[in-house]
Parts: sequence; structure tokens; C-alpha cells
Amino acid sequence: MWLISLRDLQFRRRRFTIAIAATALTFAMTLLMAGFSATLHSEIRRIVDVIGADSRIVAEGTSGPFTASTVVPAETTDAVAAAPGVDRASALVLLHSTMSEPADRDVNVIGYSSGGVGEPPVTEGRAPEEAGEALVDTALEVGVGDSISVGGLPLRAVGTSDGITYYFGTPTIFVPLENAQAMAFSGQDLVTTVVTSGEPSSLPEGLEELTPTQVRTDLERPLANGTKSIDLISALLWITAAGIIGSIIYLSALERTRDFAVLKATGAPNSALMGGLALQAIVLSVTSAALAVVLAQLLAPLFPFGVEIYARAYAALFAIAVSVGLLASVAGLRRAVKVDPALAFGGH
Amino acid sequence: MADLMIDDLTVEYASGGYVVRPIENLSLEVSSGELVLLLGPSGCGKTTLFSVLAGILRPASGSVRFRDAVVNDLGGSALTNYRRSTVGIVFQAFNLIPSLTALENVQVPLLAAKVPRREAGPRAETLLTQVGLADRMSHRPGDLSGGQQQRVAIARALAHNPPLLLADEPTAHLDYIQVEGILRLLRELATSGRVVVVATHDERLLPLADRIVELSPRVAARERPPEHLVLNAGDVIFEQGDPGERIYVVWNGEIELLRRREDGTNLVMDELRSGRYFGELAPIFGLPRSMTARAATNAVVTGYTVADFRRQVGAPSMDDLILGADVRLQNEPPDGSN
Repeated sequence: MWLISLRDLQFRRRRFTIAIAATALTFAMTLLMAGFSATLHSEIRRIVDVIGADSRIVAEGTSGPFTASTVVPAETTDAVAAAPGVDRASALVLLHSTMSEPADRDVNVIGYSSGGVGEPPVTEGRAPEEAGEALVDTALEVGVGDSISVGGLPLRAVGTSDGITYYFGTPTIFVPLENAQAMAFSGQDLVTTVVTSGEPSSLPEGLEELTPTQVRTDLERPLANGTKSIDLISALLWITAAGIIGSIIYLSALERTRDFAVLKATGAPNSALMGGLALQAIVLSVTSAALAVVLAQLLAPLFPFGVEIYARAYAALFAIAVSVGLLASVAGLRRAVKVDPALAFGGH
Repeated sequence: MADLMIDDLTVEYASGGYVVRPIENLSLEVSSGELVLLLGPSGCGKTTLFSVLAGILRPASGSVRFRDAVVNDLGGSALTNYRRSTVGIVFQAFNLIPSLTALENVQVPLLAAKVPRREAGPRAETLLTQVGLADRMSHRPGDLSGGQQQRVAIARALAHNPPLLLADEPTAHLDYIQVEGILRLLRELATSGRVVVVATHDERLLPLADRIVELSPRVAARERPPEHLVLNAGDVIFEQGDPGERIYVVWNGEIELLRRREDGTNLVMDELRSGRYFGELAPIFGLPRSMTARAATNAVVTGYTVADFRRQVGAPSMDDLILGADVRLQNEPPDGSN
């Protein structure tokens, strides 16, 4: 009986094409939403990994190096370096600032000690070695050798790194420690975090060690509302897609009431009619999902915020699309089952 | 022994909240090779009888037997098999599936019965060739004439080579040229050993039939003396569904008109006292009674033929009667029974 369903799809192809286009756009938006959400989590993972330390030491009671502004004296670095189990220790200053030249942009700034733990990865050029130099993220579209101004401090880009962002895609600038201290603490010799190579078995009083997982959890906390909103929008989009497919299948069932009555009167079982409608819903969903993959690929580069769509998101799309299609066709299936075969005679 | 045996069949169903009984106490026997014409106007029960014969509608009482199968006792897979293999139906207005070609439409009953496509295809081609549509197999219904669509519908009905063929108003949407071919085809199908039942209100088909069954027997407009009835409270004058022959005048007492509802209760539609008349539309139009008339109190009524009634009340026009206009009755009943 699948023949009837496929022929019906061909027969009403204009309507089904419109439905597929609308559903595909909706599915593409869910893919993009999944991409946004994935990016938020992956950029956190990257920024934590890129610092590459075995442990992060902060003032006791501090929730995390990225979210809190609690400071410790710079000499704490030496105390930590002397702690048992620690090979090397370096100070970091993490802050949020703004770049005013060559364009106004919000930026994350990480001040680090050249040659120490937590050196940034370089895509082009080199890492900063002396005061007044900066390593900028490619998202800032600043070239090597360009002059920039961050937090009122003139700097020169000596290198670039790629994809080092956090807080909804905000790009990161690495500068020498003293430049970051100048921006954050008016030059006072304070630091926000000490990173180590080797894990300390004990720490000086007033300090606390955070694992990478704790740092990631802390960094994800401010994003919770954003990711929940994205998940909610995704759910609404799935419902919208189900509504489009459901209404088109129900309309098809309404228009084919007489056909169903004839089929029943000639001995077709309900299961055959239901299978035919369900097949239509699945064909609609899967075709829409396939088109959505193409649409998402085309639309993703248009967003200023990076959209990372993983293979599992595509696989999930097809699995959910089939489920949505079947769920959406329930009303149409019920309609088909209830059709009185006597209708084939034009009534009783 | 006849192949199709209908025994004391009564069918009723709910419509608009009321009970309608289009077929009452019908008996009929038909043998293979016979073509039976069910004749009657719209609403007389032709299609209802088809629904029962096709196993779609269960009768209120009586039975339908085709060969070894008691159709109204079938259920589940036995009923599905009966619909698939024993009965073929040519629906009014063809009822072809518009998205399918002629060939695919004929294949549908075969595919529904899980006949492999490699067998269904050649079978459908053979049938379409038999009905003269070998060159129209790939056309959709919208691209076929009415007569061609009807031929496809007949080929579809013959997909399983059923011994019982039901054709509902097979000439209703055809011009006279197309009608000729369809009539010849139906006759051939009966002659080749099937029971063919054709429902129609088209009396031109009468010569086609071996048997004619009038589902709405015509009441001859014959002269009858007035029927004077002295009623006790609760006496019934006529039942809903009875054939209508007379118009009744109430001389004294009270008559209530009742309509039987789906839930078995009666709804009082009107209450008539002295000087009113009732039951005029059924004898005028040859319809069954649409309501039951019952004496609400002791009463006296007189039933007249339509012609007598018009004489009795001073020859009102048919329009006045049909529209229920007040008419002036004589002060006294003809036999002085008030």
C-alpha cells in the first residue's frame, strides 16, 4: 500500500514541497541552536585546555579563575612553586576588558609570564615576549604588526591564535603579565591565578586548588540561562516542525477520506492505511531533515558567533525527525482509522 | 439452491439523532448468472442494502447468506476476506483514487490482499484490456472520460474475480453513448456466472435485469373508502417507516406525532386536536411515514386518500397541502362519528 502514499506525495507535490521547505528551515534552526549550544561548551573546554596547567591555584573561597576577581599577591607564585609536587608555577591575570582600536570590541585578556606555565598556542607570528606586545584571536580581525588599544593601553599584535574565545564567543588577547596588571590593578603586583606543572600535595594557607572540571563547571555557570533558553527554543522548533508535518498529514487524511473508505470497503486493513500515512510523515520528515543539513551548512557562516554542528547533531536530527513525523501523524492516523467504509457508497 | 439469499432483512441506522429504517422485512433469492436490479428513488435503501451485502453494515434483523457464508455473522479476518475475494463493488461516482493511474487503481485491491506486484500488474492489465482500456492504463482518473472511469471501477471490482458484483448507480454520471457500453459489460459479467446486483433509479435499465426489486413499492392511487378510527389513548394509527396511503383528520381527542430517537426514546414532534389533519406528505410523495401517530387521549380520526381528502376540505391546492397551510374542514365527519 506504500504505492498509494508515494503516488499521493507526487500528486500533491506542490503542497508537500512547501511543507518540506518550511519544516527544513525549522529543522535547520534546531541544528543551528544545537551548534550554538555546542560552541558554548566547546569554547569553555578549549580555554581551560589551552592554558594547559595541571592545577589552578586561587584564593580560598574563590569560585573560579575566570568568573571571580579575587586576587592574591604575585609572590604567592613562589610559595606555590615551592610546594611539594609542583615542578613549575606561573602567575596569570584574567580579566574582561574592551578593545578600542582598531574597533570597539569586548575582549577577554589573559596576562601570563613568558616562558612559564600557561603559554598560549600561536597560529601566526609569535607569543608576546615583552611589555606592549599582544597575541590576538583571529576573530578580532587584527593582523600581525597592527596596533591595538586594550583597556586604554596601546599594544602591538605580534601573533594570532585561533578559536580562543569564551563567554559567548568573546575573543581572547594574551598579553605579558605586567600589561594585564596595569589594566586590572593599576600596576599593583597582584595576580588572579597561579597555574602549575605538577599537582601540589599541600598549599600555603589561604590558597585553594581547582581541578579543570571545577574550572569548567564554574565557567559554564553564567551560561546556564543562555543554554537553557537555547534548549527551550529548540524544543519549540521541534513542536513547530511537528505542527507543520501533522497539519499536512491531517489535511491529507481529510482529503482522502473517500479513498480510505473505498480501500476499507474493498478489504484493506486499518494497518495498511495507517502504514501509508505514517510513511508519508516519515518521508516528509527525513526529506526535510536532509534539506535542513544543507541549509544549516549554508546558514552557519552567516552568524557572528561560531556554530559548531557535530556529526551526532545530524544523526540526532534524523532520529528525532522520524519520531516527530510519526508523532505528528497520529491525528491523521486516528482520522483514517475512524473512516466508515460505508462512505464509499456516498453514505448509508 | 440460490447463491445469494436475503431472508426477512430489516436494516435501521441512526441519522441526525433519529432512527431510520430504510429496509424492512426484505427477502430475496438470486442465483449465479442472474442480474438483479434494485429500483427505487434516492433514500429508498438501495445503497443501504449494498452496504449490508458488502459486509459493511449489520442489519437489525434477518440475514444475508452468500453461498456458505452468513455475511452478517462474519467478523475479523473472515469479513476482510469476504470483502476482498467474494464481493466486488462498483461505487457510485467511480471513487477511483485520483493520484493513481488506471492500472494502479485496479492493482489496489490486489496489493491490499498482499498479492505480489509481479502478479498484480499482469492481472490488472488483463482486466483493463477486458473492459476495453488497454490504451489508457497509464492515465490518471482526471484524464479519463466518465465512461472510461466507470470501466476502470468495474475492472477494479473484478480484481479478485468475485462471484458477487455490486454496482451502485453505474450509469448515473454517464452520457447515453457511455451507458451503452457499461450496460453491455454488466450483462456480460452476469452471463459469465456471477451474481450481479445493480442499484439504480434509472428505469431505462429495466430490460437489462433478470429480476427487478422495487425497494420503495409504489402505492397505487386507488379509490378507497374513508377509514374511520375510534381510538383509545395509546392506540397507534401508523408507525414511523410504514408506507403512507392516507391523510388523517382529527375529529375529537388528541393525536401526538412522535419521532423515534437514536437512544430508543420518542420525541413528541406535534400534538393535534380537533379540526387538524396529519400524515399528508407520505401519500402525496410515496414516502414512508417519517413519524409515528398515536392517540394521546381517546380520539376519533378519519383517514382519506389524497383525492378524497382534497374533496373533503374543498380541493385545496397541492401547494397548500405540502406547505401545511390551514385548510377549512367540514364541521362534521362524513359518518357523524364525533
